[in-house]
Amino acid sequence: MINVSSLKKSFDTADALKGISFNIPQGECYGLLGPNGAGKTTTISILSTLIEPDNGEVTIAGYDLKKNPLDCKKNIGVVTQELALYNEFSAYDNLIFWGGMYKIPGKELEKLIDETLNLLGLTDRKNDKVRTYSGGMKRRINIASALLHKPAILLMDEPTVGIDPQSRNLIFEVVEKLHNEGTTIIYTTHYMEEAERLCDRIGILDNGEIIAQGTMEELKTLGSMKESVVVSFNNLTDKHFNIIEKVWKDLQRFEDTIHFYSMNIQGDLSKIIIMCNEFGLDILHIDIQKINLETIFLSLTGKKLRDK
Amino acid sequence: MIRLVKKDLKLFFGNKQDMLLTFALPIIFITLFAYVFRETNNSEEGDLVSLVHAVAGTSVFMLLFSVAGIGGSLLDEKQEGMLKKLLCSPIPPDYILFGKLVFANIISIIQLIVMFIYAWLVFGLDIMHHLPSLILMIFATAFACTGFGVVLASFAKTRQQVQGFSSIVILVMSGIGGSMIPIFIMPEIMQKIAVFTVNYWGIQGIYDIFWKLVPLADITFLSKVFVLLCIGTFLNFVALLMFRRNILKMV
Repeated sequence: MINVSSLKKSFDTADALKGISFNIPQGECYGLLGPNGAGKTTTISILSTLIEPDNGEVTIAGYDLKKNPLDCKKNIGVVTQELALYNEFSAYDNLIFWGGMYKIPGKELEKLIDETLNLLGLTDRKNDKVRTYSGGMKRRINIASALLHKPAILLMDEPTVGIDPQSRNLIFEVVEKLHNEGTTIIYTTHYMEEAERLCDRIGILDNGEIIAQGTMEELKTLGSMKESVVVSFNNLTDKHFNIIEKVWKDLQRFEDTIHFYSMNIQGDLSKIIIMCNEFGLDILHIDIQKINLETIFLSLTGKKLRDK
Repeated sequence: MIRLVKKDLKLFFGNKQDMLLTFALPIIFITLFAYVFRETNNSEEGDLVSLVHAVAGTSVFMLLFSVAGIGGSLLDEKQEGMLKKLLCSPIPPDYILFGKLVFANIISIIQLIVMFIYAWLVFGLDIMHHLPSLILMIFATAFACTGFGVVLASFAKTRQQVQGFSSIVILVMSGIGGSMIPIFIMPEIMQKIAVFTVNYWGIQGIYDIFWKLVPLADITFLSKVFVLLCIGTFLNFVALLMFRRNILKMV
């Protein structure tokens, strides 16, 4: 459904994309995961024909993006990061306008709007001006406007940024429903829980490169992924760390926190606590970290996915 | 494109501030200038000239401010992400600008019509006997001014920049072009410079209709319409180029 090959894009001197490639079959939900500035939005912008790539090939629903941009656009729905809505219009009027951009005939459009508003739980407020909506409701209308023409492909660029848990869950349910109905979805996020929950496959993007991609299970098998015990200290010094490093080889330090990697986390937990006590370290907090996208990302890049 | 125009019209007529700036403010200015200029003349012909100048000068001057504001709305749409979303929909990108130009022309024409009807009803300006010429001049002036407003916006990056930049340009151009002080009392050198402004051609055309009573088919009058249409075509073309170069690239 979507084929991306050796896609490159530079802005001034910075390389936003350094030749990424991926293929997404029909009906798959593909997650693009990466920190801010990794190249997620640039990828979505190219796929939605907003910017032209410097190099590389893209086909969407069988159409070449460069040669047939309008045919590509007819097949995609784009959920932008920005809340692109007319605040002085009601939700209904906004949807009438955006549906009109896809030349959906009047009666059919009205029916589709009712269906979409119902799906996103906004039927009761459909005649209220959008400026009276909460951030989460605006996000839902923003998504609704991308669904009216029933696109075969949905590009969602961080659709849950800055919203309440109720709206977030509703959006998840909508994405899952669309996925079950066979819509091909590209979902960008820097929330690993979202990618884990919604996506069949995940591409991890960092500094304009896809450093790994596959299903969650496939990603777990990459490299030497291990579970870890994460211990935060009150009084960790370089001297302490140097001593611990000699005893426990497989570890990483992040300021006052040490990640102790282990293949047998249950057995090693007590050893780690006893060792820390012996070295006079004051333990503030202990956490057992299972393998998830956060740890995979950390393992692949040496960086955390999100700045805390 | 029609949907884009309908959307803009709906937003415009739903916004009290826009309505006030577009229709109420020019009426206040016409009233003010008409009385001020009338006070400086004693003859009947002087009264007519004062009224014609007040209407002509104010209408073009205020029209430029309105269209600069409409041009600025394109930048609002860019800042708020609407332009990005419009570009994702299957319409040719140029239609977005064409839609804005058509909308700006409609508002400009309505604004000029309202101002002339007001001058007719309140000050007795005889528009009924010059209707064909007036309609032609309204269309030509609106077309030229619209292009000018959108070109101004296409040079800026934000609405704030448009406001600051366009205020200066419009005030200078209106001063030189005869919107404030009538051209015929300006020094000769200023009269020569004035021909480079939109205001000059619009105002002279309105003088021709109501003061000099030039017939519609007269080349003197038609040449002014022609110049305004040429200015409008040129500015719309520049606006299109600037839209493609600046605004689309900034999305």
